[in-house]
Amino acid sequence: MKKLAFILISLLILNSGFKVGVDTNSKMKAIFIMNFTRYIEWPESYREGNFVVGVVGNSPLYTELIKMAKTKKVASQTLEIRKFDEIGDIAKCHILYVSENKSQDILSVVSQVKQNSTLIITAKEGLVDRGSGINFVVKNNRQKFELNKKNVEKKQLKVSANLEVLAVSVK
Amino acid sequence: MNKRIYILFMVSMLTSSMFGQFIGKDDLSVSLFYLQQSELDSAKKYIDLAVLDEELASEAKTWYYRGYIYKDLYKEKERQNSLSPLRLISVAAFEKMFTLNGRDAFLVNASKTLMYEASTLYNDAVGMLDPEKYKLAESNFELYKKVMVLADTTAELGLADVKFKLALASMLNGAGEDDVQLDSLQIVQIKGLYLAVLEVDSNNASANYNLAILYYNQGADIINEMDYDLDLIEFSRIQDLCIDLFLDGLPYMKKSYDLLYKRKETLVGLSNIYYGLNDMEKSELYKNELLSLESED
Repeated sequence: MKKLAFILISLLILNSGFKVGVDTNSKMKAIFIMNFTRYIEWPESYREGNFVVGVVGNSPLYTELIKMAKTKKVASQTLEIRKFDEIGDIAKCHILYVSENKSQDILSVVSQVKQNSTLIITAKEGLVDRGSGINFVVKNNRQKFELNKKNVEKKQLKVSANLEVLAVSVK
Repeated sequence: MNKRIYILFMVSMLTSSMFGQFIGKDDLSVSLFYLQQSELDSAKKYIDLAVLDEELASEAKTWYYRGYIYKDLYKEKERQNSLSPLRLISVAAFEKMFTLNGRDAFLVNASKTLMYEASTLYNDAVGMLDPEKYKLAESNFELYKKVMVLADTTAELGLADVKFKLALASMLNGAGEDDVQLDSLQIVQIKGLYLAVLEVDSNNASANYNLAILYYNQGADIINEMDYDLDLIEFSRIQDLCIDLFLDGLPYMKKSYDLLYKRKETLVGLSNIYYGLNDMEKSELYKNELLSLESED
C-alpha cells in the first residue's frame, strides 16, 4: 500500500521539462537564409570557393548557422560561417548578418562591404531603408522579411521574382 | 467380522448424516453451509447452481452471497491478480443484487464489500501505471469508479479522478525526461488527460503547467526537425502551425504563473513561449524576473 502511494505521489510531483537546445527564432532565420541563397544569384566570381556567411556582433544565430553548415552546401560550395566581432574585421562574404547589438552601426557596415557583392541582412525595424538588403521583421508573431531590391541589386546580385512574392514588403 | 460390520455401519451413518442434512435444502442453503465451514470451493459450486434456479435467482439474498463468496475467493486465490475474474464476478453479483426486491437487508454489507473491492481496484490501477500496462490501469480505474458509485451513490470521485489522470499523464509524458519524443497520438492522449483534469479543476497548477509545456514542446520539436532546405511556402505553413501551438500553450503557462506554481520553472516557460512567439520584449521581461528571483536566493 505504501509502495502504491509512493508511485502515485511520485508521478504527481514529476513535471515534464522544456525541450532544451531548441532556439526556435534562430532556426527559422537560418531556414530563411538558406532559402535566400537559392532565390538570389551572386556574380560569377562568387560561385567558387566557399560560400561565406558572416555574422557581425553577438547573435545566437551564429551557433545555428554553424549547425546548418555541418550538413548543408550552397550548390557545390561549402558553407563557411564566420564571426566578426568588430565592423573593421568584416571580410569578403556572400551574406552578412548584422546582429542587433551592431544595428546602430549599419551605415558603417554598409560602408565596410561596399566593394563586395554582399547581401546584408538585418533584424531591426527601419534598417531596410538604411542599406540593408533584407530585414527580418515579426508580423503576428511570425518571422517575415522585408526586401529592398534596390539595395540588393546595387551589389550586382539578382533577385528572383519568387522572393519578391514571399516578402512582406519590397522596395 | 463384527468389527467390519461396525465400520460399515459407522461409515453409512456418517454419510447419510452429512448428506441427510441437505435433503430438502436448496442450493443457496447448501452454499451457505459451506461458506460457514469456510469451504469456499464448495460454496461457489452451490451458489453457481443457485443462480441458475429461477426462483433463487430472483432473490437479492442469492446474489448478495454470490458476491460475498466470490469476494472471499478473490482474496484467497487472486489477490495478486490485477485483472481478477473472481472480483469481477463478485462485483457483477452485487450489481444484480441492487436491482432486486429484498435488497435492503443486504445494502450495508454489500456496500462495505464493494468499498473493499473498489480499494483493491484503485490500488491495482495505480500499480499498473507504467508504459506497458497503463491501458489496463485505465480500465481498472474506470471499474473502480463504477464500483464506488455502486457502493455509495453519493461518492465524490472528482479528486481521485484528477489524481489518477495527472499521474497517468505524467507517466505517459515521460515524467520529466527531456529526450522523450512523443508521437502525435500520445500527445493527443496526454493533452486530453490534462484537459479533463482542468475541466474538473481549472486551477490545477500541475495540469496547467504541464499542458503548456506539452504545447510548447510540440511546436519546438516541429521547428527542431525542420530541414534547413525547406522551401519558404512550406516553411510558412509550418510556422503558422507552431505559432498556434505556442499560442495554445500560453494561457496555461500564464495560469500557472498566476497560481504561483513552480515559480522559476514557470518563468522559464513564459520566457520560452514568448521567445517562440518572437516577442523578445516579453521573453526578456520574464527572463529578468527569473534572474532577479535567482539573485534573491
